[in-house]
Order: sequence, then structure tokens, then C-alpha cells
Amino acid sequence: MFYLITISLIALLSARLYWEPSTGGNKVLCVVLGSGGHTAEMVRLMHGIDFERYTKRLYIVSESDALSANQIAEIERPLMSDYSQEYVVGRVPRSRQVGQSLVSALISAVRCLAATAWLLQSHLPDIVLCNGPGNCVIVCVLVMVLRVLGVKRIPIVHVESFARVRSLSLSGKIAYYLADRFIVQWSGLQQKYPRAEYIPNLV
Amino acid sequence: MTSVYVTVGSTGFDELVRAVSTKAFLLALSQRGFTQLTVQYGSSTDAFRPPPSAKDQHGIRIDSFDYTDRPLQYIEQAGLVICHAGTGSILETLHSQRPAIVVVNGRLMDNHQREIAEELAGREFVVCAEPEELVQCIEEEKYRELKTYPRADPQPIGEILDEEML
Repeated sequence: MFYLITISLIALLSARLYWEPSTGGNKVLCVVLGSGGHTAEMVRLMHGIDFERYTKRLYIVSESDALSANQIAEIERPLMSDYSQEYVVGRVPRSRQVGQSLVSALISAVRCLAATAWLLQSHLPDIVLCNGPGNCVIVCVLVMVLRVLGVKRIPIVHVESFARVRSLSLSGKIAYYLADRFIVQWSGLQQKYPRAEYIPNLV
Repeated sequence: MTSVYVTVGSTGFDELVRAVSTKAFLLALSQRGFTQLTVQYGSSTDAFRPPPSAKDQHGIRIDSFDYTDRPLQYIEQAGLVICHAGTGSILETLHSQRPAIVVVNGRLMDNHQREIAEELAGREFVVCAEPEELVQCIEEEKYRELKTYPRADPQPIGEILDEEML
């Protein structure tokens, strides 16, 4: 396990060596996809994004999630143009399974961490968009590691799920402290979490 | 618009699927002028047992399948959608401007699905019901007086990304 953590760290650090700032409009957008409902919302959110600016998209998807793979094609088809056809689907092992023992949960979390670190260092996104699946906590933490190590400052935009009316999800509670912009879709949440921005009818 | 579409999303929901395959439910549908029932039952295969005899189906044509990649084609044809409280199904139904009865699965842990269903019901965008209340819901036709849900505008997300990239 320590071996895997060390590899992730080396991977993240090595990214520093060959990173060059992306110029002009060519930005890499990292989108974290999870299961069912989160993905359905993300598909809708993506319609607000200009793909001619974010010319490359990196989708981080859980290996166990077959639906998301189809939905990525669905997101991409209507939005891509001649200039913005590049997208990458990075699959990572599931971070947490229902009914897993603590030890095996820890091992899967580390495997997920290593795979996510590898993806982030290979594609070095300019910005991360996530909306609450378990994976996004791991992505946010790694983005913070990159920031602390001085490799690259990648802003995180978190949109809490439409399904969350009165309380944040567990990943939302963590992302609240890590994200640069934290958006909620119901006004009651903004009263509880003052740093959150309230924007209704996004999805 | 004389058809009803029932959807349980990507998992299963035995109580809902069972409730829409009863004689009482089919009778209520036919009394309210519906002629077609389409059921997406997910993994609740065994729970879907509509009455075999035509007499007990009260003139309702019944179609069913486990999953579909194209839920919108069924939602848009329906005069009424009865769905589980998953975000995907709720949003598709609201944006198709179809009346919806949302049924919360009480068995789910950490039930925030109830939050969203009740919030939307409080604002009269959907009717929220338990499986055993469905017959009564159809009889009372409350779903006919729902408000139209506002169109979605995801543009602010694009603007927030752009601001962060400055």
C-alpha cells in the first residue's frame, strides 16, 4: 500500500518536470463522473460549457460504472465541434463498495488514489468540475497535493447535487472545504453553508 | 396521452412495481381514461405480475421491459409518469413537462430522495406518494393541477469555470 502511495507521489511530482502552461483557449477540463443520478446531472451541466475553450476533456469514471461510458458519448456528441474533438475517458477502480470490510475498503481506496493520481499527472487538467460522487473527494485531495507541492494550481468547481435540499452529501461536506467554488441548487443549503453560492435551475 | 409510464431507474423497486400490477390500479387507470401502461421494472422482475386475464386488465394494454437507454421516448409519449425519486428520472420528467407522481423508496439508506421529492411536491411540481397510495392518487387526479417546472439554464456553470480560469 505504501508502495502505491509512493508511486502516486512520484507520479504527481514528476508531472512538475514536463508541465507547460496551456495557452490561450486550449484548456483541459477534468470532469468527475460517478453513478446514475450524479452523471445525469453532469450531462445537463455540461451543456453550459464552451467546448471551444475547454478543447480537451478528461472524464474520470469509476470502472464499475457502465452507464457513464455511454453517457459520455452522449455529452460529447452534441457539444463537440471540429476544434474540440479530443476527450479522454480515464477509468479508476471503485473507491468504496457496499458492504466491504475496513481493510479491503482501505486497499480499494489506495488503488483508486494511485489510478487517479496517474490520470491527473498524465493530463494535468486546468480545472476540475465535480458534483458529488465518492471519486470526487479523491480527485479534490490529489488536486490539493498538486497545489501544495507547487506543481500546478488547478481550481475546483463543485456543484452539489439537485437531490440535496437540506443537507450536503458526505463528499459535499469534504468538498466544501477543498473547492474554490462551491455551488448549491437549493437556498436552504446556502443558509447553512455561507461560502456556498446558490444558483437555482442549473439542471 | 392516454398512456402511463412507470420507471424505477437503474436498480429495482419491488413495492412500486407490485403496486402498479394490481387489478385495483389497472381499474383506476381505465376509469380515468388511460388505455396503456408501460413499466420499466429494472431488477424487480419477480415483482411485476400483472393479472393474466384480459378481464382483470380492464382494457389496459400492458408493456414492460427491464431497462432502456432511451427513457425520454417513453416519458414524452406518456400522459402521466410514475417514477422513483432518482434525480435522473425526476429531471427527465420535469423537463418533458409531463405530470409526475414520485414514489420514494423507503428501503434506501440515508434517504435524501425523500427530501427532493417532498420539496418538489411542496412547490407543486410533482405529486409525492407511497406505493400503497397510488390507486387513490389516480382516482383523485391531483397530478392534473401541477405547475410547469422552469427551464434549466446551465450557462452559469460555464461562466464560473471561465472566471476561475482568469
